[in-house]
Amino acid sequence: MNNIKYCSFPETPKAALAWLLSRKAEALAVAGGTLVAKTLPETVENFVNLKNLPLDYIKKQGADLVIGAMATFDDIDNSKLVRGWAGGTISGAAARCSSQLIRNMATIGGNIARPHSFNIFPAVLMGLDARVRVLSRIGVKTYLFSDIYGGDFKLRPGRDCLILDVIIPGKTRNWVCRFEKFAKTEASWEAYFTLFMAAAVKGGVVKEVRISVGALSPKPFRAQAAEKALSGGKLTSGVVDAAALEFARDLDGVRASEFKKEAASSLFKRFLNGI
Amino acid sequence: MKKENARLKAVNGIFEICLGINGVKKSFSVKNTEFLLDALRRHGYKSVKKGCDTGDCGSCTVIFNGKPALACLIPAFTAHGSEITTIEGLGTVQNPHPLQEAFVEAGAVQCGFCIPGMILSSKHLLDANPEPSEEEIRKYLDGNLCRCTGYVKQIQAVRMAAKRIKNGEKRFRGKAS
Repeated sequence: MNNIKYCSFPETPKAALAWLLSRKAEALAVAGGTLVAKTLPETVENFVNLKNLPLDYIKKQGADLVIGAMATFDDIDNSKLVRGWAGGTISGAAARCSSQLIRNMATIGGNIARPHSFNIFPAVLMGLDARVRVLSRIGVKTYLFSDIYGGDFKLRPGRDCLILDVIIPGKTRNWVCRFEKFAKTEASWEAYFTLFMAAAVKGGVVKEVRISVGALSPKPFRAQAAEKALSGGKLTSGVVDAAALEFARDLDGVRASEFKKEAASSLFKRFLNGI
Repeated sequence: MKKENARLKAVNGIFEICLGINGVKKSFSVKNTEFLLDALRRHGYKSVKKGCDTGDCGSCTVIFNGKPALACLIPAFTAHGSEITTIEGLGTVQNPHPLQEAFVEAGAVQCGFCIPGMILSSKHLLDANPEPSEEEIRKYLDGNLCRCTGYVKQIQAVRMAAKRIKNGEKRFRGKAS
């Protein structure tokens, strides 16, 4: 932090973006700031503190759930609205991030903007088909979450754009979901893997299924072979076993070690058998 | 300066910040590389302990703008305009907070290094939830590590304090040192 010359406290997203785009000093936006101590680039001169932005809302907009970028993990964990969504899996995932002291500070926006393999929300949001509203020099635009974590997204959140909020589609409200964090201890940030599984089942037939895996690779990924094996079929024990086999192949794609594959497949089967 | 353009400028790497600590307005000069933990300790708030310095142990817990937070992860200059509560602002030896009484009575204190942070976390928990279950207390204190005890006495202490706060009791009177 040797080169920091300014600390800005913008009150609006527009003012924050203006600081970020200013050519006078290299700027970085910081929300909760839990990763700042270890990851702040030395070249940053203007520390744009987002704490005053009015983006800590959690609300229903139409059929969708909207979570402001400055909502902390604790806010999400304790929100009645979020607890009632997708069987409480989103709030449950927030509650399993590190310790309470970190959950009081860390925000969902920061969790997305600073990609790190151990971050909790990317796998969850990828599995819920979430969209993200981003403010950049071209104005406010909504992107699919999976696009933001894909190779084609050229903006750098916190550098030349700001994440405003996350939109979780209404169709996921009644999905059967489960989030698993496999780590040394419950409070460990460094998980061996995280697993988000969701399914919409009607008359015993799997209408929609999402399996996303975090912490095994720099970015979370969808287990597409396993999803394909399950979609449109009945959840018989044969289908479950075949899907678990496909899931293990998905994990081979990121060279997951044997014990992680074994544990993830067991949790995957447990989820399917529990539906 | 317009509110939406509020910006601090460092002179030779030093920021001048104003903040409220335990209800008293203070002005500090802080380095741009300094974290709140070091700034507070340098200005005499020694209850804010330096443990891991990486956000893992909870010894440096302060109540930062209404919520317990880790002072070792907050760059000091970002605390400009913030309200901070340390254990010095909670109770005195003559008039301790019910949580401080309960921690002493329950024998929850051994070396004492983690206790300021643990009490501040507990205070916030009891403010938000006056009758927490054991599970809720354990969850809330999961960021405050204690290397001396097995957490049993601390949990008993928080439950004892919750009961006393609810009943408006105050038993223990400490002696001035």
